[in-house]
Amino acid sequence: MPSICFYFEVHQPFRLNHFSVFNIGNTRDFHSTYFNQHLNQKIFEKVAKKCYLPTNNLFLDLIRKYDGKFRISYSLTGTFVEYCEKYLPELLDSFKELFKTGAVDLIEETYFHSLSGLYDDLDEFEDQVKMHRQMIKRIFNYKPKVFRNTEAIYDNRIAQKIADLGYKGIITEGAEKILGWRSPNFVYKPVNANLKVLLRNYKLSDDVGFRFSARNWPGFPLTADKYANWMSNSFGDVINLFMDYETFGEHQWVETGIFEFLKHLPGEVLKHDNLDFATVSEAVERYNAVGDIDSPWAISWADEDRNVSTWLGNDMQIACFNELKDIGRKLKRKGDSDLLYIWRLLQTSDHLYYISTKGFEDGNVHAYFSPYDIPYDGFINYMNILQDLKEKAESR
Amino acid sequence: MKIAMIGWEYPPFKVGGLGTHCYGLTHGLADKNVHIDFYMPKLRQKVKSDNKNINIIEVGETEVYPYDRPDDKELGGKFFDAVYRYNDLLVQRVKGKYDLIHCHDWLTMKAAVALKEKMGIPLVLTIHSTEYDRSGWIYPNQWFVDIEREGMQKADRIIAVSEFTKRVIVEKYGIHPDKITVVHNAVYPIGEGEKRNLILFLGRLTIQKGPEFFLKAAKKVLEFEDARFVIAGAGDLLPRLIEQAVHMGISNKVIFTGKLTEEEVQHIYKISSIYVMPSVSEPFGITALEAISAGTPTIVSKSAGVSEVLKNCFKVDFWDTDEMANKIIALLRYDSLRDAMRQSSKREIQLFTWDRVAERTLDVYRGLA
Repeated sequence: MPSICFYFEVHQPFRLNHFSVFNIGNTRDFHSTYFNQHLNQKIFEKVAKKCYLPTNNLFLDLIRKYDGKFRISYSLTGTFVEYCEKYLPELLDSFKELFKTGAVDLIEETYFHSLSGLYDDLDEFEDQVKMHRQMIKRIFNYKPKVFRNTEAIYDNRIAQKIADLGYKGIITEGAEKILGWRSPNFVYKPVNANLKVLLRNYKLSDDVGFRFSARNWPGFPLTADKYANWMSNSFGDVINLFMDYETFGEHQWVETGIFEFLKHLPGEVLKHDNLDFATVSEAVERYNAVGDIDSPWAISWADEDRNVSTWLGNDMQIACFNELKDIGRKLKRKGDSDLLYIWRLLQTSDHLYYISTKGFEDGNVHAYFSPYDIPYDGFINYMNILQDLKEKAESR
Repeated sequence: MKIAMIGWEYPPFKVGGLGTHCYGLTHGLADKNVHIDFYMPKLRQKVKSDNKNINIIEVGETEVYPYDRPDDKELGGKFFDAVYRYNDLLVQRVKGKYDLIHCHDWLTMKAAVALKEKMGIPLVLTIHSTEYDRSGWIYPNQWFVDIEREGMQKADRIIAVSEFTKRVIVEKYGIHPDKITVVHNAVYPIGEGEKRNLILFLGRLTIQKGPEFFLKAAKKVLEFEDARFVIAGAGDLLPRLIEQAVHMGISNKVIFTGKLTEEEVQHIYKISSIYVMPSVSEPFGITALEAISAGTPTIVSKSAGVSEVLKNCFKVDFWDTDEMANKIIALLRYDSLRDAMRQSSKREIQLFTWDRVAERTLDVYRGLA
């Protein structure tokens, strides 16, 4: 009987200020000069109003209504939690309340939603995982058992590290390149580590995340009973529906009927005897691994390519990435914790995402989420800030 | 289909985008089996047609050019007379059986309107620039505005080279938007050359083209990076610009080329590493496409029509010379940026073909004939 494993990624980056070449070397307070607090607060409050608060409330109602049979999991990034603490503590309270129901699980990730899993060694990655662990401990008094890397970026090296850090499971994309003919609806294990792998069913996940309001999609309009039927007819142990939390009310506006869909989904699912809901920890505990996953190269859940080309697909992105790593080496030698924190905020993968030049279909998605008109503007701005930080790392 | 097209300039002898447009358009149309009689002033050297469907007819001599602006009253009188004389000549010379008349910009509008009435056939008007653009929106001359308005009112259909120009036609000339079709310009690719450390401005040295903003940005760039700045073109502002460069202390880094031949223009595009088009008001800006086709990353003014349709270029406010300099410096510093922009913009402009322009123009013709 397939268990439905609903998991949501909750993240907001610290978007950058306009920072021209003339600013390099003339900054004093980095935080306010690098980051556009006004824009960030505005976007955060807008998304909170349209998505986070109403969706949390709906889920809380649903969990209570179905007496804990509706079960979900969240991953909250460190930057997201900082936003909550700064601008909207009641949003964090609402997550705490959800967690208290016992029907909600929390997932570990890198605090800064970074690409540190792709650095030459994994020290920084480990530091950021531990920072996230401390944060979850501080706020929820909980120790997550399942890890999901930034945008589900996964390779054998990361899997090994996560097993070493004591986690029971890891989440990534159910990509053909690692599955071959096999179904994502089972639990697997990495070829090189003692860990369970949950694989996102991208077809069913994207039916909600991307296609829900697409009128030219044969599945339109997607209703809760239709979707529950699809899942009931699916083969396997676990159906992993992983999506951005902003799907609800932000990517799919309230007018699309996305909240009505959610409201009816648990009831429709539970009408089927062969379906239930499980958190990610429960899925990992309940099901045995049926096969090995071998991923010598990094995969992710982003774009059609499902690799890391979204962040490191062109020379501009690679130039910034190399600069970022180089600054890190300098800062670690220096041991200045303020600068180190700023450097980590700049590691948030969104900054590189904005510089992606991938065309047309993918490019349109990028354009929607980017604060820049064109990726070249994103490059100049980010690179200028990195140059300023580099000067600081080299002096002082 | 047979068209009487009334133009001003035609390669290899041309001053601006209008000549380039007429050449590309007539060839695009000729390939679609449209026959064109192209009426233009007689020049010192004879212009020859290189296509059997295009027939170039030289009307007569004139001392007026479409980008001229009368400076004082006395010259103004002579200038206006010369315009009227050429228009009268045109009305006498255009003969034959045509499906419609297609006219470009203000200079021959009077004749086009008269011919439309005399021959009883539709008139299509392409607006490449308006008096508001040419004056840089400072004291537009009413005499030009009136000619343009009359032509636009009497034309059966107007083609604007950008949405920006369409808005000007609607808002400043009171023309109904439904009568206007936007057809963006195109480019014949030039090809890349070996790049030197040159940053290029190319255009008439007038207020409209914003060369003084280019100089201001140059000054700022030179405080950080070494490069040479080329100002290619002639115009009223030349003496003032030279003075400005000297005054800024950057005259050793700025090259004024004067008016360039067609061949020289192609060469300078090929060897420049960055092209800047800081126009105050630019209905389209074909030069941006030309520069890109020569592998030159390009920074265009937000008040240029080309910025509506071109994704892979920088867009700045013409007055924001800090931002212009910021972008130039980044392009000079980072190979990755320069290469990425060069490659993707070159790919992008493959979409800007004269065949597409001819197809859209033909759609307009078909709607009338």
